[in-house]
Amino acid sequence: MEMDGNIEEERRIQARFVTKLKPPFKAPTASIAIPSNLTRLGLSTIVNSLLQAGNPDWESQPFDFLIDGEFVRMSLDQFLLAKGISAEKILEIEYVKVVAPRKEHEPLLHDDWVSAVDGSCSQFILTGCYDGFGRVWKAAGLCTHVLEGHTGPITAVNIVNPEVADGIIMATASKDQTVRLWKVDAEQPTNYPAKVRAFKIMRGHNASVQSVAAQPSGNMICSGSWDCTINLWQIDDSSAEGNLVSTKKRKVKNEVDESLFEGEALSTLVGHKQCVSSVVWPQKDSLYSASSDHSIRQWDVETGKDLLNLFSGKALNCLHVGGESSSLIAAGGSDPILRVWDPRKPGTSAPIYQFSSHNSWISACKWHDKSWYHLLSASYDGKVMLWDLRTAWPLSVIELHEDKVLCADWWKGDSVVSGGVDSKLCISSEISVQ
Amino acid sequence: MPKVESSDIMKKKDSQSSNFQFRESEDDYEDYESSGESDAGETESSGHEDLSNTESDDGLEDEDGSEPSEAAEESDSSEDEVAPRNTVGDIPLWFYRDEKHIGYDIAGKKIKKKERESKLDSFLANVDDSRNWAKLYDELEDEEIELTKEEIRHVHRLIQGKAPHGEFDPYAPYVDWFKWDDAKHPLSNAPEPKRRFIPSKWEAKMVLRYIAAIRAGLLKPDEPKEEPNFYLLWGNESTSAERHLSYIPAPKPKLPGHEESYNPSPEFIPTQEEINSYQLMDEEDRPKFIPKSISSLRAIPAYENAVKDSFERCLDLYLCPRVRKKRLNIDPESLKPKLPSRRDLRPYPVTCYLEYRGHKGAVMSISVEASGQWIASGSTDGTIRIWEVETGRCLKVWEFGETVRSVSWNPLPELPILAVSVEQDVFLINTGLGNEEVQKKVKELLSLERPTSQVESGDLPSILSWLQDNKYGGLKLRHFKTVASVEWHRKGDYFSTVMPAGESRAILIHRLSDKLTQRLPFKLRGLPVTSVFHPTRSIFFASTKKNVRVYNLQQQKLIKTLETGLREISSIAVHPAGDNIIVGSKEGKLCWFDMDLSSKPFRILKCHPKDINNVAFHRSYPLFASCSDDCTAYVFHGTVYSDLNQNPLIVPLEILRGHTGSNGRGVLDCKFHPRQPWLFTAGADSHIKLYCH
Repeated sequence: MEMDGNIEEERRIQARFVTKLKPPFKAPTASIAIPSNLTRLGLSTIVNSLLQAGNPDWESQPFDFLIDGEFVRMSLDQFLLAKGISAEKILEIEYVKVVAPRKEHEPLLHDDWVSAVDGSCSQFILTGCYDGFGRVWKAAGLCTHVLEGHTGPITAVNIVNPEVADGIIMATASKDQTVRLWKVDAEQPTNYPAKVRAFKIMRGHNASVQSVAAQPSGNMICSGSWDCTINLWQIDDSSAEGNLVSTKKRKVKNEVDESLFEGEALSTLVGHKQCVSSVVWPQKDSLYSASSDHSIRQWDVETGKDLLNLFSGKALNCLHVGGESSSLIAAGGSDPILRVWDPRKPGTSAPIYQFSSHNSWISACKWHDKSWYHLLSASYDGKVMLWDLRTAWPLSVIELHEDKVLCADWWKGDSVVSGGVDSKLCISSEISVQ
Repeated sequence: MPKVESSDIMKKKDSQSSNFQFRESEDDYEDYESSGESDAGETESSGHEDLSNTESDDGLEDEDGSEPSEAAEESDSSEDEVAPRNTVGDIPLWFYRDEKHIGYDIAGKKIKKKERESKLDSFLANVDDSRNWAKLYDELEDEEIELTKEEIRHVHRLIQGKAPHGEFDPYAPYVDWFKWDDAKHPLSNAPEPKRRFIPSKWEAKMVLRYIAAIRAGLLKPDEPKEEPNFYLLWGNESTSAERHLSYIPAPKPKLPGHEESYNPSPEFIPTQEEINSYQLMDEEDRPKFIPKSISSLRAIPAYENAVKDSFERCLDLYLCPRVRKKRLNIDPESLKPKLPSRRDLRPYPVTCYLEYRGHKGAVMSISVEASGQWIASGSTDGTIRIWEVETGRCLKVWEFGETVRSVSWNPLPELPILAVSVEQDVFLINTGLGNEEVQKKVKELLSLERPTSQVESGDLPSILSWLQDNKYGGLKLRHFKTVASVEWHRKGDYFSTVMPAGESRAILIHRLSDKLTQRLPFKLRGLPVTSVFHPTRSIFFASTKKNVRVYNLQQQKLIKTLETGLREISSIAVHPAGDNIIVGSKEGKLCWFDMDLSSKPFRILKCHPKDINNVAFHRSYPLFASCSDDCTAYVFHGTVYSDLNQNPLIVPLEILRGHTGSNGRGVLDCKFHPRQPWLFTAGADSHIKLYCH
């Protein structure tokens, strides 16, 4: 009797499940009545049973649900109440695959803290370490190349031309005040790890170089440093190549040092008052920089003027540009809040999104290169969080590190690589970002 | 047939009463008897009496006339049962005493007398019949009547003077059958009489008469009644206070409490031991009254001190001068200084995000590099560490083996040299940071041409020697006493060392470029504690335990002595503009001196319950901080205005907690980040914490 009463008390909502996923994930779009107190789990169960009805050997898997472009993160009736959506009409619920890592790989062990990582090339992962070596890791977890030469900890790494199949150029920045360029062949060497020496050393900074970024075309790189400047460097590919040849020649003669080709700064962007902690170069003629002087600047590469000056109020550690038409700025710094600005809006001093689930400084933030909504953040509290702009809560929290996470990046579009103070590079894969 | 019978009785009575009436004129009737004509009494009566009588007779006649009709009716209903009725009327029956009949029935026939029972028979009948007492003999009808129970009850009620019928209720509730509320029309429709509206002339006359009488003194108005002169014994004495301007109410005696009850609860009754201990007490301290339990109110003994107490009370009231206390009616809130909201004074350090762990002993001293990228710390475990500020990584460690009292980074960014005081030595260490050019310059600076350079050739050979130190890659200055602190001049060439036990040569100023040392050419008059260079001018602050002395080094003279009034100074810090200094003391007081204002503290902030270990000013933000052994660090806002008329604004902002104490020490050092509003604190718990905004 009581049970019957309860069931009658429950409100029911007419809902229709839609999706943009491919056919095996398509459920019948007929509207069904569902109890209004369902949460994500309940909705997921319904969708899975719908799919199972159409396909008997369906393996149930979790889904995430969007109503009017916002993720459902509470029970359905609470959500409708909070958003002021009528429960009378048929509710259209879009379901997407849950963005969460489903597989954890064996961590790649380093000798010291992992301070930088770049996953923009799908064939390998480039990491920078506090022992001064850069490392190239294959997917299988083996270190194929070691980039030797820096005399201080590496602070930033960047793959200059990830699309090129052969002769991939990498840039590393270090606390020894230099930026070095390396060239690595993609094929696996016979005796790994193969030691690689820089083909170009960029001297010009008077303090630790904190960040490095390459132009999309791959002709130039920029670096931000503790001396408050951003230097632009030319990658003279042809001469570099010639140089590399000479390197190979002279390697035989064991005269390595002579081969090193020193580069001069093309130009210097002056304007920041403190350490330039992060630079990104998303378009050909403009680059963005974040600094400890609490500002984010956009620079015109040609003129050397800053086009935009955003004031955030906190010392910034990381910056990335991406999202909707690659123009949203995400930055994190000396507080636990990840902020996203939209520079296209007039009067853009206030961030449009603030994500504040971390407990400590944010050390890295990266947009997903395919999705407009997804970005990740790494923090000193040891967590890597995946965010979606459509909800204020993290989509998933990766807690693989035991101490501070210093760097993190997407890899191959479905994995997250992160390195930290525990000297491990953790890889979490099978994240289904559509 | 009760009705009929009752009427019968009535009839009987009537007949009896009529008998009495007629007895008065008995003689006359005898005349009639003699005449032998007795059939028509009516004619005779009519002949004797007047009209009214005849009327009443008529009534009688009617009554009589009704009898036959009744009888006739009865005969109609029950002819057989009822005997023929005597129709003789209301005449004395003795007329028929000697006759054989008793009268005539309605048809005129004689009604014969019945056979008389003999007395004996009647007696026997009486004896036999228990109901015989209720029988009556009816002479008129010549028959016996037996009274029914109902009739007997009637008789009883009559005798008692009640209504004869038992069902009659003389006290029945009154039912007001008149419907008052429904009356549409008034009972009287007469208009209101005029007299209701005009004043009564008669009353006016009476009033006039009274007035005249009162005036004439014939009538006296009532005297006002005297009110009883009671007053509230325990009420407020405000009325009396109003009466006398300078009246001061007597202090009220203490009201009795539970212990004064005659039968107090057991917890109020002192034990025998306590009573004995009272005897040992001083007369003054001894309690006046010892509670005792008494079983009943009756058994309470007289209070032996009653007279004494009231006498003393009177003496108190009489002899003790009472003074009115002047109370100022000031809102305590209004006494608080008007301070700006903390929210408007952001940014300032609030939360601890980073910790620098690695030391194994209390961290005595920290120093931040000029750019804010590195921080150096010295600890009681004998090590110096250099940390990367933003990651918390320990970059370098130097082992000294003895407690490092003070570390100080050269203020020039291009000279990454660390000055460290370890017991009697001051080391100048090359940190190895920076590029090759920097390193070259540093190495050049930290090399000694002559291995042992004598200081000030003449008078100070024994107290100090510059030595090359190969172990740590730098210079060593061997002092003759333990060095407490090392401070750099802003230009990075001069630095001062303080030896608290050094007496006249306690404070030494060294020059790095020349490797020269000179002592402070002034007498200190006190135990030196610490020293600071002025941030812009060639002024030197040296603090002793009691006061701070300000010297001009160029003119070689004492400018000022700041009298702190503190018991023991522990640290001083100079505002970056140079005109204000803060002094922390071991009693937890923080003094702010405005040098232009006075040599007395402008403000004393008493905030720490324990010793202040260090104080610090921020280089660019208007912030200063103090750290103490109570494991907290306080952050204050301190704006110094360029307008000389405006006093500095000092606002306490935040208490930073997080350190744990160890051996009674708390936070040993605090330093601000040179560029960010961040505060580093070094604790006795071997951690360094970074508090960010």
